Formats: sequence, C-alpha cells, structure tokens
Amino acid sequence: MRLIKTIVRPNKVDDVRDALEKLSIPGMTVTEVRGHGRQKGHTAIYRGKEYNVSLLPKVEIEVVVPEAVVDEVVQAITGAARTGEIGDGRIFVLPVERAYNIRTGERDI
Amino acid sequence: VTVSFSSTEFRTMAAGRRESDDPAAGLGWAARFAAARAEYAADARAGRGGRAAQVRYAAAMDAVVRALSADAAPAGPVVVCAVGGYGRRTLCLHSDIDLLIVFRGAIGAAEERFLSRLLQPLWDLKLTLGHHVRELAELGRLDDRNPEFLMALNDLRLLAGDVALFDAVRVAVQAMEAAHERPLVEALLALIRDRHAGFNDTLYQLEPDLKNAPGGLRDIGAVRLLRALAREALAGRTRPDGERLDEAEEFLLRLRSWLHVESGRDMNVLTHDHQERVAALLAGDAGDSRQGVEALMSRYFLHARTVARALDRTRAAAAPAPSAPPEAVTSDLLVGSDGVAFRDPSTAAAQPSLWLAAFETALAKGQPVSDQVRGVIQEHVHRYTAEYFVATPEARRRLRALLQPAPGLSARLAEMLDCGLLGAIFPEFERIHCRVIRDFYHKYTVDEHTLLAIRSLEALWHPVSAGRARFGSILREVHAPELLTLALLYHDVGKWRDDHHAAESVRLAGPMLARLRITGAGRQTVEFLIRHHLEMSQVAFRRDFGDPETVAAFAAIVGSEEMLKMLCLLTLADIDAVAPGTLTPWKEDLLWRLYVDAYNHLTLRYADELIQKDQADRAQVLADRPDDLSERELARFLDGLPRRYLRVFGHSAIYRHVRLARGLLPDEVHATLERRDDIWELTVAALDKPYLFSNIAGVLSYFGMNIHRGQAMTTPDHLALDVFEFSDEEGFVRQNPGAAEEIARLLRAAVSGARDVARLLEGRERGARERRRRLGPTIVRVDNAHSRKYTVVEILADDAPGLLFRISRALSDQACDLDLVLISTEGHRAIDVLHVTKHGRKLDEDDQAALERELERTLEAAYETH
Repeated sequence: MRLIKTIVRPNKVDDVRDALEKLSIPGMTVTEVRGHGRQKGHTAIYRGKEYNVSLLPKVEIEVVVPEAVVDEVVQAITGAARTGEIGDGRIFVLPVERAYNIRTGERDI
Repeated sequence: VTVSFSSTEFRTMAAGRRESDDPAAGLGWAARFAAARAEYAADARAGRGGRAAQVRYAAAMDAVVRALSADAAPAGPVVVCAVGGYGRRTLCLHSDIDLLIVFRGAIGAAEERFLSRLLQPLWDLKLTLGHHVRELAELGRLDDRNPEFLMALNDLRLLAGDVALFDAVRVAVQAMEAAHERPLVEALLALIRDRHAGFNDTLYQLEPDLKNAPGGLRDIGAVRLLRALAREALAGRTRPDGERLDEAEEFLLRLRSWLHVESGRDMNVLTHDHQERVAALLAGDAGDSRQGVEALMSRYFLHARTVARALDRTRAAAAPAPSAPPEAVTSDLLVGSDGVAFRDPSTAAAQPSLWLAAFETALAKGQPVSDQVRGVIQEHVHRYTAEYFVATPEARRRLRALLQPAPGLSARLAEMLDCGLLGAIFPEFERIHCRVIRDFYHKYTVDEHTLLAIRSLEALWHPVSAGRARFGSILREVHAPELLTLALLYHDVGKWRDDHHAAESVRLAGPMLARLRITGAGRQTVEFLIRHHLEMSQVAFRRDFGDPETVAAFAAIVGSEEMLKMLCLLTLADIDAVAPGTLTPWKEDLLWRLYVDAYNHLTLRYADELIQKDQADRAQVLADRPDDLSERELARFLDGLPRRYLRVFGHSAIYRHVRLARGLLPDEVHATLERRDDIWELTVAALDKPYLFSNIAGVLSYFGMNIHRGQAMTTPDHLALDVFEFSDEEGFVRQNPGAAEEIARLLRAAVSGARDVARLLEGRERGARERRRRLGPTIVRVDNAHSRKYTVVEILADDAPGLLFRISRALSDQACDLDLVLISTEGHRAIDVLHVTKHGRKLDEDDQAALERELERTLEAAYETH
C-alpha cells in the first residue's frame, strides 16, 4: 500500500475528490495547510501598502491506495488539480508499513 | 404515595399490598417488578415514557424496596428513603436507585446484616444503586465534601421504616438546610457552573446529553431546587415558565426513557443515530427522516431553551444581593443587580417605547435587561403589531440606531427574542425560532446561528487576533452598519423552507424593509447582502481567484467597495457562527485575500470598465426614466461613465444628476445640497477644467465641513460630476438658514476664478497645522499597472481640514487631469484613490516620480508648525 500525499490549490479539492471517487478510492483525509514551493508567495498591495504573502493557503489530501493503482491515482489527481500555472501543487508517494483499525484494533495492512 | 407504618409492620405491609392492590397478585416481588419494567419499557418504546410512566415505574421500585426492607427485618429503628431523581419519582429503566438508609443509633453488625439483606437482592437485579448509609446524628452536620448528596436530600421521600425516625430525619435535614441556605445555594450554583463548562456553556449541542447538558433534566431539577433553597430571595418573583418547564420535562423524560430502553444502559446522549430512530416516533408524521429529525430537534431546542432561561432567571434571583443600591438612569429606568429595570413596571406595561428604551440603556451601560423588564414585555407584547413599533420616524431611527453592531447587541437581541419583543418587531424572524437544519456543518438552530453571527460581527470591535483585526478595520469604515445587522438578522429566515432559502429570505425581508421605510440604496444593500450571502465564501473557497477573471466577475457582482466590505463582514460572521472552529485562520486568510483582490479591482481598475450599451442595468435606467428625460439625453449622460456609477447610485439619484448637468456653460457650476440624518451630501456638476475638483473641496473645507466619503467622475464630454458626503463639524449649515445658497455662491465664485480658494483657506490651514499631531504614516503610491487608461494614485494619510484640497491642488500643479476620485475615511485616516492623466495619457516614469515627490512634500508640510 502507498500513502499518496497531495498539496493542491484550495479551489481544486472538489475536482480531486470527484476524480478519486471515480476510481472508487474509499476514503481520504483533507487538511487546510499553508506553505510555498517554488511559488514562494507573492506581494500583495492593499491601500497603497505592499506586503509579502509568503505562506499561501493550500489543501493537503491524503489517500492510502494499493500499489497497483498508484499511477492511475496520481494521473487522476494531476489531471484534476492542474491549471498549468505556478502553484498547482505537489504529489508525494510514500510506502505504508502497517495500518490498524482503531475501533476493532485489527491490523488491516 | 403516602407511607405510614412502624418498623414492626414491614412484613404486614408487603403482604397486604400483595393481596389487595397489586394487579399481579400472587406473583413474587421479583416477578412483579419484572412485569413493571416490561410495562414501562413498552411505554418508553411507544414514546410514552414521560412522567406518568416513570411515576408508575418508581412505585414498582418502591414496592420492591419495601418488600426487601421487610424481609431484611431490621433489629432496631431504621428508615429507608428515596432521594435524588428516585425521590422525585423520575426513574428511567437504567437510572441509579438513590437510597438513604438512616439508623437511629450506631451502625453495628446487626445493621450491616440488614443492609446486606436489603441491598444484595437489588444488586442481583442488576440495578445500579446510589446508597447512602448514615446514623441520625450525622445528618445534622453539613458535609460540604459531597454537595450532590446535599442536593439529593431535597427530594427525600419515605419508602419504609420507622415513621418517628423519618420525622427526626426530616427535622435534621430541614434544620441543616435552613442553617446553611447560602452555602447550599452557592454549592448548587458551583455544580451548575462546572457541569455547564463541560458543555462549553451552550445548550445548542448537535448530540445533546438530555440529562446533563445545559437545558437538560438536571437543569430542571436545579431550577426547582434553587427555588426551594432560596425561598426568601425568590419570594414574590413571578414564575412565568412553570407550565412550560413541566412541558419541557415531559418531553425530555420521554426521550430519556426511550434512550434507556433502546440502548439497554444508562444512556443520555441523543446521538444522530438515535435522533433518526426516535424522530418518527415522537415528532409525529413529519415527512422524510431528515425533516423528522429537524422537527424533533427543533422541539428539543425549544424546550431546552425554556429550561435554560428559567435557570438563568432563577440563578440571577438566587445570587447574593449586591451591596450597591440601584442606579437611576432616567425617570423611568434604573440599573439594578440583574440589569436594567423599570421604575414602575405597571406604567411601563402600557408604554412600549419604554421597552425599547430599556434595551437602549442596557446596550449603552453594558448591562443585561432584567427579568422584571422581560417579564413585563412577555406579558403584554402580544397586544401590539409589528407596525406599532416603527410607526413614527423617531421610532424607526431609534430602532436602526439600536441595531448598530456594538458590543452586547447579540445578547440584547437574545433577550428580545426570549421575551417575544424581537418576534413582535420582526415577525418574519419567528419562522426560524428554534429551527433545526440538519447538515454536517451547522451546530446550532437557525435563530441561534443568526444571533451568534451578530455576536461575531460585534466582536470585531475587540478582535482576538491580528487576523480578525483586519476585518475589524473594515467594520469601522462601513457607512450604515445597522443595515449589516438587518441583513444578518434576515439572511437565513428563508430557511423555514427547505430550498432556495436566500431568495425566500429576500422575500421575507421585503415587508420588514417597508415597515422600517428603508428604501432606495438602503433597501438594495440589505436585499443584495441577503441574496448573495453565500457568494463570497463560494468564490473564496471553491474558485480560483488567482485568476483575474474570477476576481473581475466577483467584483462585477458586488459593484462597489462599500458593498464588498459589508458582504465580506457578513460572510465572515456567517461562517464563524456555523460551529466552533469552522472559521479557521486558513479560511480567514482566503477570505481576506479575496477581499483585497476585489477591493483593488473595484478601486484601482474600475475606470476601465465603462457602461456598455447592452448592459441590463443601463437598459433598466432608461426604461424607468421619468417623462422629463429623453432616452437620448440619458444615454448621452451615461455612456462613457464607469460601470460603477450604476451600482453606487440609485435611479432617482441618476435622474437628478442628469437634470443637474443640463445647460451647463463653461465656468458655471450647478449644485444641490441634501441632508441625511447627520450627513450632508453635496452634488456638483460643472464642465471640467484645471483646479475644478480642488476648488470644490476647498470651498467645503472653508466652511468647516469634514468630508467623509465622495467620488468624482468625468464623462467623455468633459462633464465633471462630484458627490461629497460630509458632516457639518462647525454647525455652519445648521445655524445659518441661508447656508446652502452661500455655499453655492462661493462655489460659483471659486469655479469661475473670482475667488482664490487657496487664499481663503490660508488662515484655516495655518491653525490646523499648529494643532496637528501625527497619527499614522503617510503613504503615496503611484502606479501604471492597474488601469489601462489611467495612472492610479493611492494616498493614505491622517485626515485633516483641507487635505483633499491640497492633494488635488498638487495634482493640478503638476498639470495632471483628475478624471476619477474615490474618497473615504477610516476613523482619522483618509483613504483616497485618484485616477489621473496628463495630456490625455498615463504619466511617464519621470512624471510619476515628480508627482509622488510633490504629494509627499504637500502632505508632510501639513505637519509643520509656524
């Protein structure tokens, strides 16, 4: 199993979720985060005064999927979250060693 | 149940009842008890597990305890009593059986054998016991380590035993309560506080604990106990909630009975799952399960609110009396220990203007409105119509002033709701009273959500974080914040229906706006805010507003920066009131970024967006035109003006402007002066020429006017239209009947060049410079990026007499044409945005630098002293 950790624009969450649902990915975790990559924030101006917005609001989406569908999931997320502009986000794929069901205490991976 | 028998009659009593009254005669006590439990469980499952069923079940339990007590055969005088909930006969299937067993003498081996024979069979029945064993001598002493036990004693009830000993127990308990009334009341108040703190002090729980949550069964018990303990403090107080408290108890008992039976344990939390299952049973034939749950929970909140308010009133009355005497505020009102009160309640009952005055005073003094005031209003409010409360201009003005989002407003509105006054003035709001909308976001009933949204808005006066302080700064700039309160009050009233609530809310706001005589721009503002109250969160959280097109589209919907500010504040407050934690700093940031982007679009880019011939609102202005305006004249006036013009001015203002611009000759000026409350509005039309704007601004400064807001625009035909809103700081207009003509005369002289405004202002400016203190930094920003046609100059500076005159004069001195101007103020700070050109083009880099230097020099010079 693999943990796919994705950072996307806030307005792309619904698109990514829809894309993952089409692949029958059963669950996901969505977290409000802030950060920057190469985008490194931007300068905003309000009433003549400039200020630097260094950490931009983003959304982190995490899903755990079988290794066999990783490429398909990555492709779906990329397609849903891409605008072609700087700041579209990142996808990280990590191995999952074990997983437990808290209610039952059973190990399911 | 009256029990009177001696300790020697235990066995006789048990046998006698078995043979004479018991329907299950012939069965043993265990079988009879099992039958009683089965009967109670059947009632509970059918939704009939209220007080009557619980009393029957408690009687069955009484019979068991009596039979066991008789079988246990005490060696000496003993009494077995029910206390707590069992004492009150509110006993659910898995409730604790609270017993007090008192021996006259010392507890020895024989007494312990009795206890074992009494209690062991109860444990064998798998009942949970809360038993207290005492010697009589112990009961007279206050045991403040166990306040719950002291409270439970108030419901002491004899089950079996020596009647003389029971009398002695009663005397001891009574004496202890009488001697320690105040510590007992304080212990109870502390217990309530601690219990409520565990629920974040709110009764509006999505999955409420029927027993322990605020507004639950324990609170009903607390009301009754406080009233019993603090008899003297509560003597003579009205108790308008008695019947409603009984209804609430019946409702909660039925739910709790059902929960115990269905869950098979002492379960008091009404989970979502339970709500769905019990809804069909208790909420009648309400449609689908969602509607059934919403109806059930609406009833729950209605009852819980009744309980919570009864407890509030009782707590306030039972609290220690303050040492300070009531403070007289007016001839009719005073501020006492529990808030603002009427001096003469019987007179006030027939004077609803005093009711509003009580709330005005409470807001001004930062006090609640007393139980007495709410009681009077509650008793008499049904006599009046909604129109009655806003029948005169003064009444309407006072109501609007009351709705300014100041600290304490939401608490006062909650009190108005509680006593029926809010529903009387705004009957449309009644439709969402305790209305539950079940989704995964909202935690509160719709009316409570609304009041919390208003609380969130008023909290911006004292923001808790730098993030919130940003929004607080825009609240200070809003021109008519009471319209924001009205919009919030009505934004969800349409939720009495299940679909399209925004449109329904607008429809319901219509009669209210008509009653309050809010017309024109004010009406449009409230209707817009209600209709679009979800728009900004949609764009901020679901669309890519990094795309300028998205921002442009949103800005086009909003239309003006004033509307943007109000919509932003409404959105913030609305999200904050959904549930704790919904408005995260992350969401605040997104909302703020959208606000800034849209604000910049509306103030820095609006000049490029001109009124188009196919624009719907242009067509509407043309279609609605009065007979004295031709389509050609109107179209010629509009075309070439920025789109913004149609958004910030209503139709009647536009027609006035067209008439004002008729027949203008070079060096002429046409002007009108109008008053709206404390604000004056000067509208000036003239053919554009150098120094025109600065001369007009200078004339207003000369007469001591403080300019708050304004805008100026120029048409392609060189018609300049300037609108200023100002306050008459020195009372010139107020004190001089011919003031309007005198201002017009000086305007004509200044525009024609007959009078030199700079010279007129010299003395006034010198005085101002000598008095001036720096309050904030001066910012001048000149840019060519935002607009295709104009150089945009943004200025933030301390507001000062003649500031606008100096700025605009400096621009004219640099040979710049001032094409569009937006003027606003935030407290003592002036915020001006000016669109300028030089010889019909944007300024080049050299000109920009020169202009920036000149403006900075001009603004700094204002601080010099001579």
